[in-house]
Amino acid sequence: MSYGSIIKVPFGPQHPALKEPGNFLFEVDGEIVVDVKPRIGYNHRGVEKAFELRTYIQNIYLAERICGICSDAHTTCYTQAIEELLGVEAPPRARYIRVIIAELERIHSHALWVGIAAHEIGFDTLFMYVWRDRETVLDMFEMISGNRIHYAMNTIGGVRRDIHADMVSKIKKGLDLLEKRLKYYLNVVQTEQTILKRAVGVGILKPKDAVDLCAVGPTLRASGIKNDVRVDDPYAAYDEIAFNVITHDGCDVLSRILVRCEEMLESIKIIRYGLDSMPEGIIRVQVPMKVPQGEVVSRVEAPRGELIHYAKSNGTTKPERYKVRSPTLGNIPALCKMLLGGYVADIPIVLAGIDPCFACMDRMAFVDVKKNKEWVWTMQQLRRKYAKK
Amino acid sequence: MNLFKWARTKSPWIIHFNTGGCNGCDIELTAALTPRFDLERFGILLEGSPRHADVLVVTGPVTLQVKDRLVRIYEQMPEPKHVIATGTCAISGAPFKECYNVHGGIDIVLPVDAYVPGCPPKPEAIIDGISKLIQKIKKE
Amino acid sequence: MEKENEIVEKLKDFLKEKLVRATVPKKRRIFIYIKKDALKDAMKYLVKDLKFKHLSTITGVDLGGEIEVIYHLAHEGSIVLSIRLTVSEKNPSIPTITDLIPGAVLYEREVHDLLGVNFEGHPDLSPLVLPEEWPQGVYPLRKEHELEHLREITSKKSKREERN
Repeated sequence: MSYGSIIKVPFGPQHPALKEPGNFLFEVDGEIVVDVKPRIGYNHRGVEKAFELRTYIQNIYLAERICGICSDAHTTCYTQAIEELLGVEAPPRARYIRVIIAELERIHSHALWVGIAAHEIGFDTLFMYVWRDRETVLDMFEMISGNRIHYAMNTIGGVRRDIHADMVSKIKKGLDLLEKRLKYYLNVVQTEQTILKRAVGVGILKPKDAVDLCAVGPTLRASGIKNDVRVDDPYAAYDEIAFNVITHDGCDVLSRILVRCEEMLESIKIIRYGLDSMPEGIIRVQVPMKVPQGEVVSRVEAPRGELIHYAKSNGTTKPERYKVRSPTLGNIPALCKMLLGGYVADIPIVLAGIDPCFACMDRMAFVDVKKNKEWVWTMQQLRRKYAKK
Repeated sequence: MNLFKWARTKSPWIIHFNTGGCNGCDIELTAALTPRFDLERFGILLEGSPRHADVLVVTGPVTLQVKDRLVRIYEQMPEPKHVIATGTCAISGAPFKECYNVHGGIDIVLPVDAYVPGCPPKPEAIIDGISKLIQKIKKE
Repeated sequence: MEKENEIVEKLKDFLKEKLVRATVPKKRRIFIYIKKDALKDAMKYLVKDLKFKHLSTITGVDLGGEIEVIYHLAHEGSIVLSIRLTVSEKNPSIPTITDLIPGAVLYEREVHDLLGVNFEGHPDLSPLVLPEEWPQGVYPLRKEHELEHLREITSKKSKREERN
């Protein structure tokens, strides 16, 4: 039913549900969202221009700091782009180490997200539990690289630090603990009414919309579409490792939670395999400072989805053009689609559902989709939809 | 020491605002609140509203667009108020210092009481920063 | 590489002389260079017939005097086809593809904001990435703007605020 008048509700940039600045202007009719107008340029720093002014070595550290949560995905993407331009290949051991770090990062990022999602629906117990267990992964990072966040593992031509035998046993021990806990959380997520009541049937994104709006990563996979850069366009050592691509066809927030929970278990399997079958040898090769002329498109499956970098070199020590497109930007049109027609109270959890990372996204864009008629529903359509219920 | 100061030093409430950083400091600050580090055992509580907070914890360099908002949040906080700059970006702008859309460290916009260096600082460092600020408030 | 070459052949047949250059540098990567007026037809053919449904992003590159716009399309997640065209810097204007791929809306606005490319028929090209006070006609990713120049604009803005 409609209450006649439309009320505008601003959300952010400082909001308890958003750990980062982002501003959403919602137009609501009663309890129902009829329009979304995201404005998220608060994190725009102009990193792409900075890339052009620094050397390839300096840019590794800049790429790392595009995002603090998926920093390894950005450096992997960056280094493999530059390696392709140089015509060198990382040694096999380095490629395996990259996979192990990437998957550890996926666990840490997804665990972080499950905690935040639980927090958004007022289930703080799960938030505290998950974040406590997430510390296991951060301890591993600290052991391997010396830092909990921004591990700086990748460099052009390989990785900077090796994983030694004594670390392997410690990582395995940590993984056993994590696996036990994650299975427990998967069970909690599927059975606990606190979550089911808030997540089932909320934030629907139909498969056709997901494809049309170019959604990526877990958001796309939760709409039942099998798409994963690790399988479709294998990089590092993923072509030598067998694993399942997790999909769920619920198209709602619960599916997104389940996809991420099961992906964490899959990541544990990949890490175990990687640790066991890691070949011996060197971990990095020397590379020249100057990069020959050329261009390259590099893709990586970051925790949030497809990450794509485009590099163009001009034969000097600095790139001519460097373009970064982070997964969150790809998911924003889909997010707006999910929010429309939903309840105001569901906004935080739907918003959290795509795992937004404004730091990544805002290096470039903020959004105003109001006038795009493609997915803005008319009031009549909305009323018809809710009259049926 | 009067009653108000006593209450404030026993339980300062903090508000967190990211002014354009990479997120690394944010998740470390959140990690400081979770069971391993448990900031709340010192009576420190993360608040959602600036009107309830005593300490503003800022992460990230100040981008052009966020500057006005940062000042507004600071103005909404009740007196006396304190600011902690967390992470190298908030201190000087760090890797983004030369970017066209970044002003630099937050001390060009707000008066800062404590700096916590690191990229990102570990949760222990953040806790240490807050406890040092409490010592400072006691002496005032 | 067979699949990639097959796609290139199909495109050559369809676009004929409007396709300037096509290269397959490695597995799962195709670079196509087309003439400006062929964009709409080529996109329609790629999306509808060759199933390049996913648009990864749009990149704009300043070549000096000319701006290159590159559309990175993905074929069911695996093959990445980068289709490119150039427009003159004085009148950079190309048709929008949001009617074919709704997900392109943000990428086009991003390129519009940072390089000043005008996408004809785009539903809303209002200024976006940069702050509201950003001067018109200054596109930060164009090579003519040195960083010092852009920093000057930034500092001017903050000085003006101080005076007010």
